[in-house]
Amino acid sequence: MMLEMFEYEFMQRAFIAGILIATLASISGTFIVLKRYSLMSETLAHSALVGVAVGLVAGYNPLWMAVIVAIISAWIIEYLRTSFSLYSDAILSILLSGSLAIAIIIVSLGGAFNNSLFSYLFGSILSVSSEDVVTISIFGSVALALLIAFSRELYFIAYDEEVAKTSGIRVKFLNFLLVTVVAIIIALSIRVVGSLLIGALMVIPTVAALQYRVGFLNTVLISLFIALFSVVAGMTLSFYFSLPSGATIVLCVISIFIISLVVNKK
Amino acid sequence: MSLKFKVPIFDVKNLNFSVRGQNILSNISLEIFNGEYVAIIGPNGGGKTTLIRMLLGLDAPTDGSIKLYGKKIKNFKEWHKIGYVPQRASLVDVNFPATVEDIVKMGRVSKLGFFKGMSQEDKNAVKDAMVKMDVVNLKDKMVGTLSGGQRQRVMIARALASNPEILILDEPNTGVDMVSQKNFYALLGKLNREENITIVFITHDIGVIADDIGRLFTINQKATICNNPKETLSCEDMSELYGIEAHLIHNHRHEH
Repeated sequence: MMLEMFEYEFMQRAFIAGILIATLASISGTFIVLKRYSLMSETLAHSALVGVAVGLVAGYNPLWMAVIVAIISAWIIEYLRTSFSLYSDAILSILLSGSLAIAIIIVSLGGAFNNSLFSYLFGSILSVSSEDVVTISIFGSVALALLIAFSRELYFIAYDEEVAKTSGIRVKFLNFLLVTVVAIIIALSIRVVGSLLIGALMVIPTVAALQYRVGFLNTVLISLFIALFSVVAGMTLSFYFSLPSGATIVLCVISIFIISLVVNKK
Repeated sequence: MSLKFKVPIFDVKNLNFSVRGQNILSNISLEIFNGEYVAIIGPNGGGKTTLIRMLLGLDAPTDGSIKLYGKKIKNFKEWHKIGYVPQRASLVDVNFPATVEDIVKMGRVSKLGFFKGMSQEDKNAVKDAMVKMDVVNLKDKMVGTLSGGQRQRVMIARALASNPEILILDEPNTGVDMVSQKNFYALLGKLNREENITIVFITHDIGVIADDIGRLFTINQKATICNNPKETLSCEDMSELYGIEAHLIHNHRHEH
């Protein structure tokens, strides 16, 4: 009964994409949450939507455009955060609504307000193409390699940015690198999870894992397991109940978060 | 005291720092040499932490020069020689997913290559640092569950893991009880004497000044340097520095 869904090629593609994304989102999400950047994932997801809108209207690959716009947006955020005395959550809020406004105007003018956009907002397992799987695999491998290569430095920076700097770590460069990698991961994820819901897949597995109060490596592993389980369970529910995959995945991850909270209550 | 090396670790000349036209530090010149044990005291808001932040390259002076090991600060690359324990070390995020060992390992991060695990040398350095600070038995504990004194020792172990030549501690006793404070100063003295680690620590609390101190810098916008603090530091100096009656010092109280 369970295996029936794998007879469909689109489900095989969706599962490959989903597993890659769960891995990327949860690992990068650990650093994002610990750096108090949780809201950034939401903002970048909305920025990615501008890329999707441009892609849909102008006829380019929306996923590639989403990656490009999300990276530019991440750099703007990091530049504003480090160069001006602005509150970082306020910067994120401004860019979030600004991007959404631009995306809506582009799709309205271009007449692309249709089901295709809906799938980018809420995720759709039906819409993952072979080309998407290839794009996600290529960019995802690079993103994962960078995260692993710099994981110790990023962990140190998340713990104490200033002490990391005084011990000779290139904090500014690595902060830019992290937001770039996160931008890529978010843009890749919106096919499966949707731009309105990807923030949840990035943030919640880590917040749930933190409830177990274990060291860094174990926190990353628990977060990874929660994300993988939620994506697999969410996509299965999406298949059998014909629901948007982003919504089912997020409900699964929130359920695990609540269980983690209750189990670890002091 | 005898100064063993001619090139100072820190060489500060005519340093000024102002924010929006308000002088925080004026015309500070000082040198710190290898093997010294220096305390920096002064009232809250007097500019002690600002001075340390500039020594570490975290803030740039308005004018004046800072040299580290004879090099201008922007050209200085050997940061592993300097161990820094910030003031907020005692206020760590209790939810941060880190065991004591995770934290101490951070001290080796800037020395590791990409995709490379910790070498035996790295592991030994981490272990040695934990032994010196007596935190080996805490190594698998979550840092959020430690007491103030234990946490302080872990933070110093992290700084020691990079085998620094100098340790800079900002208000090391925030949130630490009196017994731990006493042991703590004994430990700093030992590091200075036995490991030849230069120690620079900041405090606003005159009562905690340890016996081992070689020199004392008092910072309250301007700097006064006492080369022999036990003999030369008078009640008048303290009254001028803090703007309070000097007898408070003898009671080990600080009501500023």
